[in-house]
Amino acid sequence: MRSRMLPSLVALLAILDVLVGGAPAIGQNPPASPTPRSGGVLTLAQREETPQGFAIHETSTVSTTWPAMPCFSNLVLFDPRKPQESADTVLGELAEKWSWQDNYRNLVFFLRKGVKWHDGQPFTSKDVKFTFDMLREAPDAQGKLRINPRKDWYANVVNVEAPDPSTVIFHLKRPQPSLLLMLASGYTPIYAAHVPPAQYRTACVGTGPYKLKEWRKGEFIEYVKNPDYFVKGRPYLDGLKYVIIKERGTRVAALQAGQVQAAFPGDTSKTTAEQLRKAVPQLVVTRAAENVNENVIMNTKKPPFDNVKVRLAVAHAIDRRALNQAVHQGGAAIGVSMPSKPWGIWGPAEATLATLPGYGKPAEEKARAKKLMAEAGHSPEKPVKVEIVTRAIAVYVDMASFIVNELKQIGIEATLKQIETAQWHAMATRGEYQIGANLTGIGIDDPDANYYENFACNSPRNYTFYCNEQIAAMVDKQSGEIDPRKRLAIVLDIQKKLEEEGVRPTLDWRVDNFAQWPQVKNLVPHNNFYNYGRLQDVWVDK
Amino acid sequence: MKSYIAQRLVIAVLTLFGMSVVIFVLLRMAPGDIVDVLFSAAGYVNPSEKQAILRELGMDKPYWRQYVEWITQIFHGDLGKSYRYDLPAWQIIRPLLPVTIELAMLSTIVAVALGVPTGIVSAVRQDGLLDYAMRVFSLAGLSMPSFWLGMVIILALVSWLAWIPPLTYVRPTENFWLHAVQFMLPALAVGYRSSALIMRITRSAMLEVLREDYIRTAWAKGQGEWAVVWRHALKNAILPVVTVVGIEFAFLIGGLVVTETVFNLPGVARFLVEAILWRDYPIVQNLVMFIAIVVILSNLAVDLLYGLLDPRVRYA
Repeated sequence: MRSRMLPSLVALLAILDVLVGGAPAIGQNPPASPTPRSGGVLTLAQREETPQGFAIHETSTVSTTWPAMPCFSNLVLFDPRKPQESADTVLGELAEKWSWQDNYRNLVFFLRKGVKWHDGQPFTSKDVKFTFDMLREAPDAQGKLRINPRKDWYANVVNVEAPDPSTVIFHLKRPQPSLLLMLASGYTPIYAAHVPPAQYRTACVGTGPYKLKEWRKGEFIEYVKNPDYFVKGRPYLDGLKYVIIKERGTRVAALQAGQVQAAFPGDTSKTTAEQLRKAVPQLVVTRAAENVNENVIMNTKKPPFDNVKVRLAVAHAIDRRALNQAVHQGGAAIGVSMPSKPWGIWGPAEATLATLPGYGKPAEEKARAKKLMAEAGHSPEKPVKVEIVTRAIAVYVDMASFIVNELKQIGIEATLKQIETAQWHAMATRGEYQIGANLTGIGIDDPDANYYENFACNSPRNYTFYCNEQIAAMVDKQSGEIDPRKRLAIVLDIQKKLEEEGVRPTLDWRVDNFAQWPQVKNLVPHNNFYNYGRLQDVWVDK
Repeated sequence: MKSYIAQRLVIAVLTLFGMSVVIFVLLRMAPGDIVDVLFSAAGYVNPSEKQAILRELGMDKPYWRQYVEWITQIFHGDLGKSYRYDLPAWQIIRPLLPVTIELAMLSTIVAVALGVPTGIVSAVRQDGLLDYAMRVFSLAGLSMPSFWLGMVIILALVSWLAWIPPLTYVRPTENFWLHAVQFMLPALAVGYRSSALIMRITRSAMLEVLREDYIRTAWAKGQGEWAVVWRHALKNAILPVVTVVGIEFAFLIGGLVVTETVFNLPGVARFLVEAILWRDYPIVQNLVMFIAIVVILSNLAVDLLYGLLDPRVRYA
């Protein structure tokens, strides 16, 4: 019965989508002035070897998404030319059109026809089903990932159906408007069903604008233009070359000397940008959010941080603005668990922020923190002694050193312990710590991606082990809310509640000063550095 | 001579065996493993998934069995598979070797070319203006870490010329001059530091020899400065210098980490550090063994050179 009705349903949806899902497909935008020219190779800085080759689905780092994105396509993608990502900037990529159906319980994609994988095989809905069955670990999935960091993103997907080669239907348990945004992230490329997922660790078969030419380990990744790319006339460039430069000073020198024409996203601090501007005034520097925050993780299963008063004391004690000045020379943005405007769309306004623990006047905040410590039974004569852990990387250590000093002022004597990368996440996941200084990157500026990943009771990345059913219910409620205004109100409540519970206090949101040479056109940094690496519209004005 | 070399090679094999055990054990004593690092890129660790990957990589086997398998593979000319890249280790290691060997050789040449003449001049003109100038020059070399000097060179070039050497490896067959420039700057940075040590050793050895009776006799016989210094003094003072040069060369094979990083050269040392951080055991084990082989061979070469340079040295 269902299968007989399906073709007519699909036809009906095709008509409806014109009314419902009317966003343009990628490549349909008018090109930015001046008139783009084809040709040339863009050389970009890459701060380290890509950790898992091109296997974006097996990692959570911009070191993989940035150099691997040009090989792939998504169903949908955030408009490369619009710096602020939102539901309104989502464009079709492999999906020509899409449509929400059944009160946001079904999401139907109508795929482009005639698209080919880089090895010449045709792209069909089977590839989409293969990818998402693999990601959500469906019992009948044809592919399996070695590591699956974003399984939680698809927890609400019941089934992915491919009724014909150019239609895919996502059936959801409940409405979830955020799903479309997750599908638009650089973290959500479509894998080929005929290529074993493990192969993406060493090679890349995509449908994207560029084909992998060579990956010389530890040296560079080189792409050439895909002549069969499904958007006619794109990409403009003949190729891309990502030069792996481990030493930060050398990366800056390479940019300054023009050996690379664009920086690595998130790599240019305020100070470096000022130096670069002074040395090469014509360099274009754009301030853009990274969607990475610095936060304090406190193990709520271990004393003294099982006591909400001690956690709140920590939240009150750390002067965010002073941290921003000391560590980022004022270059970061202040905010709580979701970034505030202009860096994000879900964070509270400045006035609300000032009422939350840690965001008031520093002297008053310190006094409140001391009072809370006293209420928790601690005094300067009887200080709490803890070990604060952090990753043995400069950006983590700088922040942690500042925190140690702040905690000392309220009677918490913290000794800093640096943990090597090989142990950091294992330690955090197992909860083998009391308090730590941490960095968290989020794939999209969206509450679902953040709260399910980092605050949900059973998430492996909920390093604090904080679990509150009331907050969990609020997270579910906002996730299913279709009205953006109502949703925002719930999200603001969640943020307030999390701050009042002293759960993973956010210290700041990192802001990049993305630097590129003026001849590089259409490379627009977004408010999230995971999502603008496709580069199909980028061209070089020689 | 042949039996001496054979004896040294037997000792070398025993040393390599010892090294293989030490590096194998030390690596596994370090906390964390490749799977933790893989998960770190995902932001969490799942114990059951971790176990599956350990099994996939053969890391769930007892240590003794892993060791035996590694040694057996080596005897079959197979260096195993890189955990990180999922490719044969030899395929990863092979391109690194010429880069490091060339850089180490060039640096050694620079060090000898700078260190030996300055050491001789400094000794011959002891306590003169030239001696003081040379000693300051060498002290500066010892005081400046080569990575710092390397970074200063890069920054000076970019500030003054808005140019830096190529940051991807240029093969000599592709563009010889660019290749030469790419290697000369790091070789100068490293060679200058090594030259300081060679200069000081040369100077002290020369001073000792220049006070010998036979040198006084040579002067008394009316021989020219050139003949006394080069033919009589240097020939007898050169042995400790050769020893230091041999040690420096062996050290450079594994000790160029920061220089390779600053100049972005894809060499052994930089890759070794990366592999250690990734706990990529097959790569680390084989690179360390390579470095050990170079150290042993350069020591052997130095010992054999003794015989050529000093006829009094006989091999038993």
